[in-house]
Amino acid sequence: MQQAPQPAPSSGTTIQDRSAQFVATSGGDETTSAEVLLVVAYLAMWFLVLAFVAISFRRLARLSERIDSLEAAGRTQPEPGGGEQ
Amino acid sequence: MRGALPTLLLAITAIAFGVAVPFAFLNTPTAQLAAGGLAQKIFYFHVPAAVAMYVGGTVCFGASIAYLLRDTDQRDALARAGAEVAVLFGALVLSSGPLWAKKAWGVYWTWDPRLTTALLSWSIYVAIVVLRQFAGEGSAERRFAAAIGVLGWFNLWLVHLSVQLWGGNHPTVVGRGGGGLGDPRMGQALGLGFLAVLLLTAVLVWLRTRLHVTEARLERAEQDALASSPENT
Repeated sequence: MQQAPQPAPSSGTTIQDRSAQFVATSGGDETTSAEVLLVVAYLAMWFLVLAFVAISFRRLARLSERIDSLEAAGRTQPEPGGGEQ
Repeated sequence: MRGALPTLLLAITAIAFGVAVPFAFLNTPTAQLAAGGLAQKIFYFHVPAAVAMYVGGTVCFGASIAYLLRDTDQRDALARAGAEVAVLFGALVLSSGPLWAKKAWGVYWTWDPRLTTALLSWSIYVAIVVLRQFAGEGSAERRFAAAIGVLGWFNLWLVHLSVQLWGGNHPTVVGRGGGGLGDPRMGQALGLGFLAVLLLTAVLVWLRTRLHVTEARLERAEQDALASSPENT
């Protein structure tokens, strides 16, 4: 007796079982990768801290420039009492 | 000796982070999926950052009261540094929290009482920083910023108590009403996170205070130099 041909193992559904339309659902399973979120969160935290430190050092550098120019102005200014006769 | 303590503090902070970050990543177990699974590891720095924001706000509060009682450059500088550190750690909380929430709740943001009051508190400290940065160094501006620093501190209590008062999505795991951490390694990672972040808070408050005190002294020196220059005599 001849047996009926078996369906291919890879196809689990017939053409009638497949989706004929897409409908919107609310919620659903969260599929965002936790690994990606974790790494992004840590990178964001480090970025913020390092940016804060970098801004602080830039301000310190500006302060140093102001001190230098103040010192330079002090050197060019004539000594009190040492002016013209 | 004056510069040795901050350097030592900085070195200890670096070591604390060097231990805390690998410990949180590699030694703690993954939490249940409802808590975000692997994303729950954000917790080990998210909570200490929130406490660091409270610390910054409290420093700002104390120094602002002191400034309103007697105005000195040091007190003003400390209040300003506290507000800046509160802004930094508030930004850390408000950036790391939504990334964790995406996995645990399915959304980045929801107008939950804890999230809303935290955003409000952060905005208050941003306002102080912006005011001090752009409104000048006048006595009125300093006093106004100090008054906001005092009022802003009360909102921190609202952030802290919001979960107990109004509920919402935000979990309470540690502290009153919380279920606690299910594994001792989680507690150890949180402790290390607290140590590292609070040491960093101390370093940053010190750094910014020194910066603002030096700026104020330089401002006065420049004004004195200008007043005593030959063109003005």
